[in-house]
Amino acid sequence: MTVPIDQHLEEGKKDVTFRVFRFNPQVDSKSYFDDYTIPVERGITVLRSLNYIKEHIDASVSFRAFCQAGICGSCGMRINGLSKLACTTQVWDVLAKSREQGIIKVEPLRNLPLVKDLIVDMDPLVDKMKHYSNWIDSTMSEASMGKKEFLISEEEFLRYDKATDCILCASCVSECSILRANKEYVSPAVLLKSYRMNVDIRDAIHDQRLAELVKDHGVWDCTHCYRCQESCVKSIPIMDAIHGIREDAIESRGVKDTSGAKHAEAFMSDIEKKGKLVEATLPIRTNGVVWTLQNLLPMAVKMIMKRRTPPPPPLVKSAKGIKIFREMFREMTEHVKQDHKSHKK
Amino acid sequence: MKPFDVVIVGGGGAGLYAAMEAMKTNPSLNIAVLSKVYPNRSHTSAAQGGANAALANKAKDDTVEMHIFDTIKGGDYLADQDAVHVLCSEAPKIIRELENMGTPWSRMPDNTIAQRPFGGATLPRCCYCSDKTGHTILQTLYEQCLKKGVIFFNEYFALNLSVNGSRSRGLIAMNMKSGKVEAFPARTVIFATGGYAKMYWNRSSNAAGNTGDGQAIAFRSGIPLKDMEFVQFHPTGLRKSGLLITEGARGEGGYLVNKDGERFMARYAKEKMELGPRDLVSRSIETEILEGRGFDSPAGTYIHLDLTHLGADLIKSRLPQIREMSMQFEGVDPIEEPIPIRPTAHYSMGGIDTDNFGRTAMEGVYAAGECGCVSVHGANRLGGNSLLDILVFGRIAGHTAAEEARKFEPGSIPEVELKEQLDALRGGMHSSGNYERYGALREDLGKTLARNVGIYRESSLLKKGIEEISELKERFKKVRVFDTSDVFNTNLMQVLELKNMLDLAETVAAGAYAREESRGSHTRVDFPVRDDANWHKHTLATLINGKVVLGEKPVTMGRYELQERTY
Repeated sequence: MTVPIDQHLEEGKKDVTFRVFRFNPQVDSKSYFDDYTIPVERGITVLRSLNYIKEHIDASVSFRAFCQAGICGSCGMRINGLSKLACTTQVWDVLAKSREQGIIKVEPLRNLPLVKDLIVDMDPLVDKMKHYSNWIDSTMSEASMGKKEFLISEEEFLRYDKATDCILCASCVSECSILRANKEYVSPAVLLKSYRMNVDIRDAIHDQRLAELVKDHGVWDCTHCYRCQESCVKSIPIMDAIHGIREDAIESRGVKDTSGAKHAEAFMSDIEKKGKLVEATLPIRTNGVVWTLQNLLPMAVKMIMKRRTPPPPPLVKSAKGIKIFREMFREMTEHVKQDHKSHKK
Repeated sequence: MKPFDVVIVGGGGAGLYAAMEAMKTNPSLNIAVLSKVYPNRSHTSAAQGGANAALANKAKDDTVEMHIFDTIKGGDYLADQDAVHVLCSEAPKIIRELENMGTPWSRMPDNTIAQRPFGGATLPRCCYCSDKTGHTILQTLYEQCLKKGVIFFNEYFALNLSVNGSRSRGLIAMNMKSGKVEAFPARTVIFATGGYAKMYWNRSSNAAGNTGDGQAIAFRSGIPLKDMEFVQFHPTGLRKSGLLITEGARGEGGYLVNKDGERFMARYAKEKMELGPRDLVSRSIETEILEGRGFDSPAGTYIHLDLTHLGADLIKSRLPQIREMSMQFEGVDPIEEPIPIRPTAHYSMGGIDTDNFGRTAMEGVYAAGECGCVSVHGANRLGGNSLLDILVFGRIAGHTAAEEARKFEPGSIPEVELKEQLDALRGGMHSSGNYERYGALREDLGKTLARNVGIYRESSLLKKGIEEISELKERFKKVRVFDTSDVFNTNLMQVLELKNMLDLAETVAAGAYAREESRGSHTRVDFPVRDDANWHKHTLATLINGKVVLGEKPVTMGRYELQERTY
């Protein structure tokens, strides 16, 4: 048998410049970047490089790190613009895709308050977990706990199995496009956790949690940009959870429940009837006449002045091939219904 | 600050369970959890394999008594047998309790909690959630604590106990976000800060913060530590990083193979093969390597953990995390090729000496989990018993502290003690006269421990280890904290952690040097057999006038007589 040679150490090293975001609230009025250039061999992670910089060049560079094995979620940061864990990110892999040759930019996560350098405050996330009751409120009384198990089928288990992989690293929080505009938004991680609780048969407060999720800043604010899912370090299909909550909300609370549900319903009905959106009346159908007049009238006037108004409903013609499309639409909704039925079993 | 009834130091499994139980015991108490990381980051999350409990879901004939015997035998008869009885008889209840609160245990075909075989266990009794068991338990406990409204002081670094005679007045800690030194006057303090195996640094599977902070603080306050020389080397650490591949990989049927393609465990544990207890398997791998049957590489000599015959489906469904780690940290996909591994320092059997209720030698001070030593693991812990330990004894310590809190006067911590701590942090360590870098000291500590106080130990090596540790302590006096800021000074925190590790390393080496026998994880080449006549006893290490003084404590028997340990 041949002895495998460790290629990693034989392929040499590359000089890599780490452009690190710096901010110390005690002395800095604004943030800046420091460059540190070090030789890095293949197989070295961004975290090990940062440790090296801290130990050998500049001890004041501050970041969090704990398990160093991708399970504790401490070292979330933006590496060349993408939020991920420093401990599982290989330097050479990042270099290969780097826009500026030989340079890796390291910045703190977005959408959470900055503390220092690469460290952000996680408290807002914890507060949201509390607000949306991200725990199982067991149907079993505390007094009878420990005596017997809930019996949970493979299918029931699989509903939440993947979601429990979440390590709260906040990469999705950092990438979320809604949070950039509205810091009060529930956050992808908290939606994922809420979903995980809501589909667990042991939980007793499904309705209460759902009622909170459909309010302002809740599940209907998501715009399906999928950035949370793309950035998830554990490859969790977060959007499935978000869609899951929405479907659940429409099903158990009705389509007239909130503007979010009404918006989704108006979308569906337009697509079914015309194969495209009737944008002019969408706000009215979503939020009602009063709200639309109060909130959108000035914008509507501006749009008219600039001749940017969408066509009025009678002028929206059905899309080409609408008949075939309606057939497909009917088939699809039938499939979804079937899926739901078998899921319920 | 208003005095607390219970202050818990550490937010891992033991600390969180203690908090929950303390609140349940007496809801009117003022309870706080201090943690140097957000609790959900704690090292409990890294436990992959599972927690043992004789639920008899998988093996219908399993019993608590068999679990007790396996644990006592696994610990090479050094565990206190009454404590083991508590551990194992509470196990089914506590696993179900977690299940009732939402832990996503994997399931058997009959929808009960799934169990699998684990090292040193007669029957498959390890309850698991694929290979993320610790992570999901920690999440469950954190969720429940948030639900109950437990008060958390996150990112506070514990510095010292405030002691008045034989009593604790509370804790002094540094708020990482502000750099301020704050007092936590408390009737009771529970230490649940995890283990100290990170002192082996690169040859350790532990998180960067497993630096034995609680043990070191207790030790400096005069509280005895027990059985510190017993450090478990896990057989399967990744070659380069020391990171852990769960025992579950062997539980699912993985092979250990040397460079001759031989499943060498046949020569060491004919019956149990790869599922022998951890100390035995680690020694076997080390022997293979020392006798030239390992694979050589610039990153060190290693052997193979071969899972390829298990098939892609099983690996993906039961061991997804270890597949990810093998690919990320070694560039090896275990579906295609074997994983390069070698033993790695993993678990501290030793810790703060406690009774079965979590009480330490100091009134009002308690300890639980890896931080404490009851002892239930004796000279070698069985896989699947550590999660169980933190749950069972975390809960017991929380209960005891809550019951006893009102017995004690509320403490008040004198201002002068805060000033002393602050001066120590702001003083010499920043001066330009100091030149030692903590990174180099820490590296050297890891090296000397791995070389001289490692898997195979011997008198002259241990002596050298003790000398080198004391040299390192001298050098530490000149350590320099280069970061001078108050806000989130991780440089300062790392230096303080190093101080804790140095203090504890001395007790590990001293205990190992004194114990002239081989038992469990402690293997003396010069004293290769277990010596029950002279050494069937616990070691106690106490700091008296700045010196480590070794004492002893009898082992509580009563259930099983001493037997030879074979697998």
